[in-house]
Amino acid sequence: MNGTTTTTAMFRAAILDPAKRAHYRLAWLSTVDHKRIAVLYLLTGLFFFVVGGVEALLMRLQLALPNNHFLQPDTFNQLFTMHGTTMIFLVVMPVMFGFVNYVLPLQIGARDMAFPRLNALGFWLVPFGGILLHFSVLAGGAPAVGWFSYTPLSETPYSSNLGVDYWAVALFVLGIGSIALAINIIATVISRRAPGMTMRRLPLFTWINFVNAFIIIFALPVLNAGLAMLLIDRQLEGHFFLPLRGGSAVLWQHIFWAFGHPEVYIMVLPAFGIVSEIIPVFSRKPIFGYEFVAASSVAIALLSLSVWGHHMFTVGMGRPLDLFFAISSLLIAIPTGVKVLNWTATMLGGRIRLQVPMFFCIAFLIQFLCAGITGVSHAVVPLDWQTKNSYFLIAHFHFVAVGAIVFAAFAAVQYWFPKMSGRLLSEKLGKWTFWLMVIGFNMTFIIQHFLGLLGMPRRVFTYPDLPHFTWMNMLSTVGVFFMAAAAVILVWNLVASFFGGKIAGDNPWNAWTLEWATTSPPPHENFHALPPIRSRRPLWDIANPDRPDPIVGENSSAISLPNKNKTGILTFILSETGFFLALILAYLFFYAHPQPGPTPRELDVPRTLIFSVCLFASSFTFWRSEIAMSKRQRGSMLGWLALTVALGGIFLVGQGAEYWKLFKTGVDVSTNLFSTTFFTLTGFHGLHVLLGLVALLIFLWLAWRGDFASGRESAFESAGYYWHFVDIVWVFVLLTVYILPLLR
Amino acid sequence: MTTYQLLTTAWEWNPTLLLLCSLALAGYFLAFGLRGRPAYFVGALVIFLVALVSPLNALADGYLFSAHMVQHILLVLIVPALLLLSLPRSLSLPRSLRTFTYPLIGWIAGVGAMWLWHAPALCNAATTLKTVSVIQTISLLLMGSVFWWQALAPRDADRLSPLAGIAYLFTACIACSVLGIILTFAPVSICPAYQQPIDRLGILNLIRGQWGLTSDRDQQIGGLMMWVPMCLIYVTAILAQLVRWQSQSAPHPEKSHA
Repeated sequence: MNGTTTTTAMFRAAILDPAKRAHYRLAWLSTVDHKRIAVLYLLTGLFFFVVGGVEALLMRLQLALPNNHFLQPDTFNQLFTMHGTTMIFLVVMPVMFGFVNYVLPLQIGARDMAFPRLNALGFWLVPFGGILLHFSVLAGGAPAVGWFSYTPLSETPYSSNLGVDYWAVALFVLGIGSIALAINIIATVISRRAPGMTMRRLPLFTWINFVNAFIIIFALPVLNAGLAMLLIDRQLEGHFFLPLRGGSAVLWQHIFWAFGHPEVYIMVLPAFGIVSEIIPVFSRKPIFGYEFVAASSVAIALLSLSVWGHHMFTVGMGRPLDLFFAISSLLIAIPTGVKVLNWTATMLGGRIRLQVPMFFCIAFLIQFLCAGITGVSHAVVPLDWQTKNSYFLIAHFHFVAVGAIVFAAFAAVQYWFPKMSGRLLSEKLGKWTFWLMVIGFNMTFIIQHFLGLLGMPRRVFTYPDLPHFTWMNMLSTVGVFFMAAAAVILVWNLVASFFGGKIAGDNPWNAWTLEWATTSPPPHENFHALPPIRSRRPLWDIANPDRPDPIVGENSSAISLPNKNKTGILTFILSETGFFLALILAYLFFYAHPQPGPTPRELDVPRTLIFSVCLFASSFTFWRSEIAMSKRQRGSMLGWLALTVALGGIFLVGQGAEYWKLFKTGVDVSTNLFSTTFFTLTGFHGLHVLLGLVALLIFLWLAWRGDFASGRESAFESAGYYWHFVDIVWVFVLLTVYILPLLR
Repeated sequence: MTTYQLLTTAWEWNPTLLLLCSLALAGYFLAFGLRGRPAYFVGALVIFLVALVSPLNALADGYLFSAHMVQHILLVLIVPALLLLSLPRSLSLPRSLRTFTYPLIGWIAGVGAMWLWHAPALCNAATTLKTVSVIQTISLLLMGSVFWWQALAPRDADRLSPLAGIAYLFTACIACSVLGIILTFAPVSICPAYQQPIDRLGILNLIRGQWGLTSDRDQQIGGLMMWVPMCLIYVTAILAQLVRWQSQSAPHPEKSHA
């Protein structure tokens, strides 16, 4: 008895004592500290890097010799699908998110991200997605359809096991996590900056990742819409992408690449951010043309959203589409080229310190230039036709993905590890990693350009003994072992330096941004005191008071910080707009190609109009409720809010009646394309109304309990924004689904 | 008729338009003298005439949807922008017109000019009826001016702040791109008048045969015009906002506020 009490008391003390709690193991699982979450992101990324690397190694072993039977064809297909998906969604994105999560709040002098718990959710969705994806191996076989999962191959008739379903659900989950983090990044940058950190004084890493977050919130929802359609096809027998039933396999490609091309920039922009931080510090010069680097990132972001067609030149889109996409794709070379010039010009005339981070950045510059040149060549349509499905393309995108992104990530590890751990990584081991990577990477991938030009197609599990094929493939495979050795040394370096590395101190690289103004590792609250911020290099200004950087913008530390809740919800609404836009466009696309079976004429327009009025009226009642709250009239606020919930509920009942009528006449998701698109579009809208109702009910409960005192207005208003958005979406759904057919 | 003959002969020197342009030029100099930026004004007039007098107009007049789209873009985006840029920097709007300076109205005008005039019925009417065509031209110029006011108003204080301006332009760009995407992939004719043109000039063989522009392909190019090049106009404007933002500086003692 006595013993139990003592144990409980000790347990309580351990929980309640912050110093002890910090060491409590569960603290890493329940943490909402951006620094710990960042480390979790990075470790998860490292783990999957090993998984994806082993997959690559197995494929290269299979390809080392002609007519090899080390792997079965189907295993090979599963491996390249899993390798691509893993490396993109479970390695590059988490690793870059890890760096952003760690560094971005520090660089702007914030205590944490704007929404720490949302941040934790965003992270935990990564292992969840990873487990879902890999669970497919136990559930009948991994997906074997490529990372882009082209339809109709990925549809049930051609991929009947559950691999593709797990793939789609995993990506859906990962997409939600990425969007959550992107919303968090935007809200953090907009509303969590330190005094003096105006938007124009943001370090480039922060600025570029801020811009990148916008690409994420526009691109990922499009993928999620596509994945939802694919899952509806596979699980509910819909017909979106099945040509046999009037669907369009090419539509999947449009949706996928409308996401897929921006995704390339989502991965590479953080790498640009890393390089833009490291090159100036190791050249002892400010970045050459900050404004150009900042603006060209915006230009890349904008252009990236309208060039996806260059992934589809071989589909046969017709000459006009080919021509326009070729031109817009060529244009992307301009802002990217501007950046390369900026980085090179920063090094020009600088006192370059050749340490490991800089080694990786120099290799990045050269390799990224090669990747860019082969990339632009793919904008040239006839050349693209010849090289698209060959190893030339594999070589190109690995020059981007490994030669640029992984090299930048390695540079970032070496650069920021001291901040995270308090100890420097070994320079010697770092140089071993570097040279093994450079040799291995170039040995593996330079030769693949020529293999591709000789005609070796991608996605084949083996090849005949043609002239040159054998030695080229063998060389390529040997290179992989160098890269594997580099990875092993990196892991060894991380472990050894973590326990026995040189103590780093606050600012081991003499860098100038705010993350170096605090201890290594930073305290829980990040900063005890912040230096004055008047330029883009506050630590330079402190170290050189006689020649500080020119003041950027107004000479004051006043900044405007919009409310984080409203910023967050507006960003969320932007991402939801992309999701519904994709669904509405898909609906319109199939509406224009009518199929036999039910048509929009089956719908009950007058009744739906009545229920729609209820939904629109609920926006009005919510607005009244807000006014009542601002006047502190609790009863009136509760009344209007309850009425809002009731009106929303009535709308859902109306939708339910519409569904019920259709079901009774035998119309469900699988009947024809009209029913598939109708149920998908209105169903997802209904789901959003339902979620809005849940949120409103929570507010109603809080307000009724009297817990809704002052200071929570912005949360209530944010819920209102969402509710109004759901109503506005219904305006467009109503117009497309119910009103448009009446105009014919 | 060959392409060369088309380019040399299909100019429609509409006396009303020429008179209007001359009057506008005279009015501009009378009102502002050299205080404005006349180069922009002349540029606006030249592009206005190119859109409505050159062979582009002949093609847009019932032959090619894509030519109509180019004309549409010139009238709604390029000419109003140049007109606003030509105004003296000190000019502000009379109080009676202040309603048009709300950002939301500007946004709706800019996006509405694209969507409204591509509703099949209206697009058809504008192609077949002269009066509707005139109304369309005037409305495009007006709506374009209202749209651009937020970014290009003569006085900096009348414009949106740079970051808000970027959001304004970006969302407008998306809204127009969506229409472009719909036009590009629509299997039905958005503007049926262009499907079976009345061959007034005897150039239908040239267009369909030598140029290879079937009516499907024509509409696709029209949609792509709205989707890609028009987006680039917005992107350029967004970059201009970024330049404006980065060059805003505090009134330094050594540097006078320009």
